[in-house]
Amino acid sequence: MAAGGPAGGAHSVCMVSDFFYPNMGGVESHVYQLSQCLIERGHKVLVVTHAYGHRKGIRYLTNGLKVYYLPLKVMYNQSTATTLFHSLPLLRYIFVRERVTIVHAHSSFSAMAHDALFHAKTMGLRTVFTDHSLFGFADVSSVLTNKLLTVSLCDTNHIICVSYTSKENTVLRAALDPRIVSVIPNAVDPTDFTPDPSRRDDGIITIVVVSRLVYRKGIDLLSGIIPELCQKYPELHFLVGGEGPKRIVLEEVRERYQLHDRVRLLGALEHQDVRNVLVQGHIFLNTSLTEAFCMAIVEAASCGLQVVSTRVGGIPEVLPENLIILCEPSVKSLCDGLEKAIAQLRSGTIPSPETVHNKVKTFYTWRNVAERTEKVYDRVADEVVLPMDERLGRLMSHCGPVTGYIFALFAVLNFLFLAFLRWMTPDSIIDVAIDATGPKGAWTKQYFWGKKGRVKELPSSKNAQMKRKEHNSH
Amino acid sequence: WQKVLYERQPFPDNYVDQRFLEELRKNVHARRYRYRAVVFQSGAVVQQLCSVCVFVLTWWYMAAGALSPQGLFAAALASSLLGYVLFDAVDGGAGRWASGRTRWADLKSTLVFAAFTYGFSPVLKTLTESISTDTIYAMSALMLLGHLIFFDYGANAAIVSSTLSLNMAIFASVCLASRLPRSLHAFVMVTFAMQIFALWPMLQKKLKAQTPRCYVGVTVLFALAALAGLATVSSVGAVLFASLLLAISCLCPYCLIRLQLLKDNIHGPWDEAEIKEDLSRFL
Repeated sequence: MAAGGPAGGAHSVCMVSDFFYPNMGGVESHVYQLSQCLIERGHKVLVVTHAYGHRKGIRYLTNGLKVYYLPLKVMYNQSTATTLFHSLPLLRYIFVRERVTIVHAHSSFSAMAHDALFHAKTMGLRTVFTDHSLFGFADVSSVLTNKLLTVSLCDTNHIICVSYTSKENTVLRAALDPRIVSVIPNAVDPTDFTPDPSRRDDGIITIVVVSRLVYRKGIDLLSGIIPELCQKYPELHFLVGGEGPKRIVLEEVRERYQLHDRVRLLGALEHQDVRNVLVQGHIFLNTSLTEAFCMAIVEAASCGLQVVSTRVGGIPEVLPENLIILCEPSVKSLCDGLEKAIAQLRSGTIPSPETVHNKVKTFYTWRNVAERTEKVYDRVADEVVLPMDERLGRLMSHCGPVTGYIFALFAVLNFLFLAFLRWMTPDSIIDVAIDATGPKGAWTKQYFWGKKGRVKELPSSKNAQMKRKEHNSH
Repeated sequence: WQKVLYERQPFPDNYVDQRFLEELRKNVHARRYRYRAVVFQSGAVVQQLCSVCVFVLTWWYMAAGALSPQGLFAAALASSLLGYVLFDAVDGGAGRWASGRTRWADLKSTLVFAAFTYGFSPVLKTLTESISTDTIYAMSALMLLGHLIFFDYGANAAIVSSTLSLNMAIFASVCLASRLPRSLHAFVMVTFAMQIFALWPMLQKKLKAQTPRCYVGVTVLFALAALAGLATVSSVGAVLFASLLLAISCLCPYCLIRLQLLKDNIHGPWDEAEIKEDLSRFL
């Protein structure tokens, strides 16, 4: 096995989330990268998600990462509909077939993740949940989602959050014991984000913004900052990457102030193009209004840019003070922050991109994330799964008098449904799948075993690899 | 221990520090209300309920033939003229000067409106003839309820829509007017609805802003008048209506203040930041 092998024995982990490739985003890459690094550490990992168009059934990705694309109906925003029961036959089949020991669900927006947790608990499997987002408490929709999260997490073995702020948020939302919540940050592949000062034009100052152009990313603030600073600094240019409903606001500003040559809107960017945009700038601006863990600022800092960002959510925890200028979410404060950065740039007191990159690349790595997640798995593996009666007691005492009893009833129905399925197709007659990864992994042995000696840059050109797979399969 | 992610710290990942949740704030935007102020504000709801009550009573008497259309028209015209004078008198003409609207424009719109309603009153009379009277009553009740729900009582909420509210009231008046004996009745009924649902609240709002004491007096008198009118039709109805008004103006404010103490709203760094500036100046 890999050097030393996993300390607490190999786990058979099933990652479940509605969000996975070919969809793109923070959760998707988190699941993919974490799975790859866990495979590297000798665990068996498979991913379960819903079918994306023609991409259904079982697929193998790089290094034998097995992905089940289940034929479940998508309801809203790539999240499947939930009835709490209909996915049990399929998921049970997978859990039994693959001899899964730990079910790891991702994202509180994913209905499939919550379904999988529910079924896994009924089947007596260990459960881990990773929360990637922040929620408020004030409006009706968050009150309802928070209630559902309470139900879903009250008997989950362990929860992982991506920042301390996110942990506080999740603990409050789901009324959890903070000791069963671990903080494991996201990571960025530093080899994907290397500086290249030759690509930027030092005669001008370029401020780069890479984000979806939506309200939550504070694009309205950006529309105030652009005219304010462009009038003050004639050599200032803006480079905006990303697409979204707020693009029209930026276009209006550009039109109004005649800034066509100084504000470039690039539109949607492919993940592999982000670096090429980032290295053209001197300063990176993030105007988000809420953020659990901001990957974008780490990517920018890794490319050697000076980062200016709003002080919201988990952002203050992400980078040390000398690498980031934090501002209040207002046009004035952000303009002050940017002016400070411009002054530093002109006086040359900013550290060189190379130094910044070398510093940042030690902060967040997927290997570290996998190592820490593995500790969570080891811990969970030693815990007992609540038997049915205790689970019902927990639901009823923890989730309030109405919701608690309703979901306790659902849990009982789920248990009866499982008993029925076991009677229809006993576990013993379900085929056991051949392991692609893990200690007995066929794939690992054939293609990976011999190459263990050299440290593979994992998984640097993942998009290219994904693309190739996609082509081969069609 | 530091609340940072970029350093490896000698603590397990599930470590809970003493500083955990130290940035939690409770009830940041909670307001403390004073009982008298809430009772005063509830006057708007009482007024609107009474308006609906008076409107329905008027229709009742007209339908029963106890109130002649000429009599009602004269009374409504007189009170409208009085209200018109008051509307300018309470703020010394400041509102009129600010809006820049001339008296000639007022007269014009009054004449246009009256002429059109008068001209169309035969149509209004026969418009809903083919609809069963039960349906008309149900529809009117529903529309008047909708009027009360969507009325602008001064709260800043998404549900408030004075246009929708006024439209529903006028719709109810058209429905009810069609069940009156003649087209003159229908004309008077619709103009009366306009006066009580469109003009009267405008005057009330101004009274409330300029002379709060006078407003309280007017509200009490109006409520008593509505109650007295209701008592002549149904004494049980009057008792029920009186208890409803009392509950709204005395009991509900008390409940609001008691429940406000139980408010438990949490805020922290995870809240979505609000953009407080007016960004439209850049566009």
